Amino acid sequence: MDVENQNPDSEFPFWKPIPRRFQPDSPFFAIGNLERELLVKQVALELTEEKEQLEDLIQEDVREVFCPIVGCGARLASMEDFENHYNARHTASCSVCFRVYPTSRLLSIHVSEAHDSFFQAKVARGYDMYECLVEGCGLKFKSYKSRHQHLVDKHKFPTSFEFFKKALPSKKHRMKSQRKKPSHSHKEDTSGMMEVENAAIDDLVSAVSKLNTSDSTPSSISFGRRNPKGMTFVPRAVQHGKGSNSDSSVTKR
Amino acid sequence: MADPGFSSTKRDPIKSSVGNAAGIRRREHAVTVGKERRESLVRAKRLCRVGISDVEVDVESDMMIDEEQSILESQTSLAVQNLKSALAYQGKGAMQKRVGALQKLRRLLSRSEFPPVESALKAGAVAILAQCLSFGSPDEQLLEAAWCLTNIAAGNPEETKALLPALPLLIAHLGEKSSSPVAEQCAWALGNVAGDDEELRNVLLIQGALIPLARMMLPYRRSTVRTAAWALSNLIKGPNPKAANELICVDGVLDAIVRHLTKADDESATEVAWVVVYLSALSNIATSMLVKSDVLQLLVNRLATSNSLQLMIPVLRSLGNLIAGDSHATYTVLSPGLAVTDNAIQVMIKCLKSEQRVLKKEAAWVLSNIAAGSVEHKQLIYSSEAVPLLLHLLSAAPFDIRKEVAYILGNLCVAPTKGDEKSSLILEHLVSLVEKGCLPGFIDLVRSADIEAARLGLQFIELVLRGMPNGKGPKLVEQEDGIEAMERFQFHENEDLRTMANSLVDKYFGEDYGLDEL
Repeated sequence: MDVENQNPDSEFPFWKPIPRRFQPDSPFFAIGNLERELLVKQVALELTEEKEQLEDLIQEDVREVFCPIVGCGARLASMEDFENHYNARHTASCSVCFRVYPTSRLLSIHVSEAHDSFFQAKVARGYDMYECLVEGCGLKFKSYKSRHQHLVDKHKFPTSFEFFKKALPSKKHRMKSQRKKPSHSHKEDTSGMMEVENAAIDDLVSAVSKLNTSDSTPSSISFGRRNPKGMTFVPRAVQHGKGSNSDSSVTKR
Repeated sequence: MADPGFSSTKRDPIKSSVGNAAGIRRREHAVTVGKERRESLVRAKRLCRVGISDVEVDVESDMMIDEEQSILESQTSLAVQNLKSALAYQGKGAMQKRVGALQKLRRLLSRSEFPPVESALKAGAVAILAQCLSFGSPDEQLLEAAWCLTNIAAGNPEETKALLPALPLLIAHLGEKSSSPVAEQCAWALGNVAGDDEELRNVLLIQGALIPLARMMLPYRRSTVRTAAWALSNLIKGPNPKAANELICVDGVLDAIVRHLTKADDESATEVAWVVVYLSALSNIATSMLVKSDVLQLLVNRLATSNSLQLMIPVLRSLGNLIAGDSHATYTVLSPGLAVTDNAIQVMIKCLKSEQRVLKKEAAWVLSNIAAGSVEHKQLIYSSEAVPLLLHLLSAAPFDIRKEVAYILGNLCVAPTKGDEKSSLILEHLVSLVEKGCLPGFIDLVRSADIEAARLGLQFIELVLRGMPNGKGPKLVEQEDGIEAMERFQFHENEDLRTMANSLVDKYFGEDYGLDEL
């Protein structure tokens, strides 16, 4: 399918119906070639029962697949195996905002950055809180933007990459319908405040920074309990580090 | 190429019971040699076990006991030595002595699934056998020598290269003055030499093997045509198109192809069809000439009347190559409205219904190329019984078939584009296919690990998002978990796919999506 560049604003390669031709040694024809040779020898060697086993054995190599998720590269025996692998390893979903991440590490980074006011408080105080997303790099940054720049410069991420993407409509639907349920009695305002997508991060930071950040005083914000698995705010004295809150909110599909 | 029916009539009753046990032992031995066996089975080479079909040959005058491979190997060395001394002998009965020695060697090389090629080569068989091929030698001698070389040539490429000294002689005996069985046995040997190695193919071409082999396809004698066509298919398979280009230009070849595709028995037609496969895949000249003759029609007829998988594979593929290679095929020969076009589609449906994976896959490919034709072609396919079958295959078939079916369905929904114009949708087909439930199948492809399939899926989703009337597209995609499928690409290593998926999500599922419904 050819790439069309007629629309300046969109680079999408639209479906173009064109005939496809293959060279005789193309893998596309491998099954047929194999069948040809086996059929001929079948007569001479009384292969019948074995033939299927042989076909399977030889075709197995062809179906092997490597996981395309960045940093994974797992080798899988077949397409079905890939699907299982993906569901097992790459669908960590946030129970707060339903965003999905391909690894639990990224999910936990997301939760800290998006749903943890403690995290934001530290940011406001100038700590390097934004971790590089590439496992093993270890660098941390003061702002989302500088971390982004690092990803682009050092790790060749595309400039359009957004770790913190706007929430997708299906999630919006779910969240809005959740809010409407009368059985839950949580504060609409605080849940609104907690919903980071609607507020610019800067706003949140400035709001949080207005809080009393002394060690012994817990924040007056309470995070709405939208669902039983939602985060409860734990006083700083009890927390063991930025990752702790995220444990309660991690769910795997 | 072996003919088990022939050998059973020749076997002695005593030996047949021994032969059965030997067969079992042979099979056990073979299974334990797993990888080697797989390789040898997959090779484009064929052992000659019982010789050319209508030649009276003394096949089994020895007891056919299955030997340990090592015993076979040592016996082979001895047989070669024996042959050397027989050649040296000049006295009375020299000819019989030579033929006897050749037969002994030939039998050793024809028994096991793994002929003792290595020991034969080590003992210097090639030089001796080349001597036996000298001009003026009696036919029986030539036949046995060529037979030995045939099976020696069935080894791996390194071993086969040792046959270089004998090649010019084998080629020489293809000539029209040779007796048919001798020429045929030499063709068989050369087919094995050409089978798996491009270098050897080039050597044979430079030494002039093409034209004499091509001539052997012309006469009517069945087994000659069959063997010569098979050897030719190995010789021209490329990837260099030169041989294919030359072959189609040899006088009488095109006519012979047409004749055999029309009249020949299944086995001969099979080998001729493989020649057409390589001609149509490699040579544009050949493709054009074949399309202009009646070959498309003949291929369609063969597919309609045959149920032999052996025959259907190359016939189907030839059709596929011709349609893919020459637009004239689709637009002129298979013009909508003509009977041949209806038959072609019917025959593809027959293959799609078959149990055989290769037939389903390649028929879907052919249909996808027809569906890439004119709007009338798309309508023709759309209104045939293909669609329900395709929808079923899209959800239930193995991956590679699903991918081909996806190409068909997508091609049905998009009108032919001229140059760089934006493609316009055939709404009737798109709406109907989506309503019939094709979307989940495409979204599955988006989720797969295969780049091409994912791309295809995303492109189809774009059609749905853009084209479904009343803006129903996004909702439909969401319902089938299409958004989740597209989200997967955020961390995908392929940048194109990431960009494609992101652009769709940004465009159709932006901030305003769904707001008006609440």
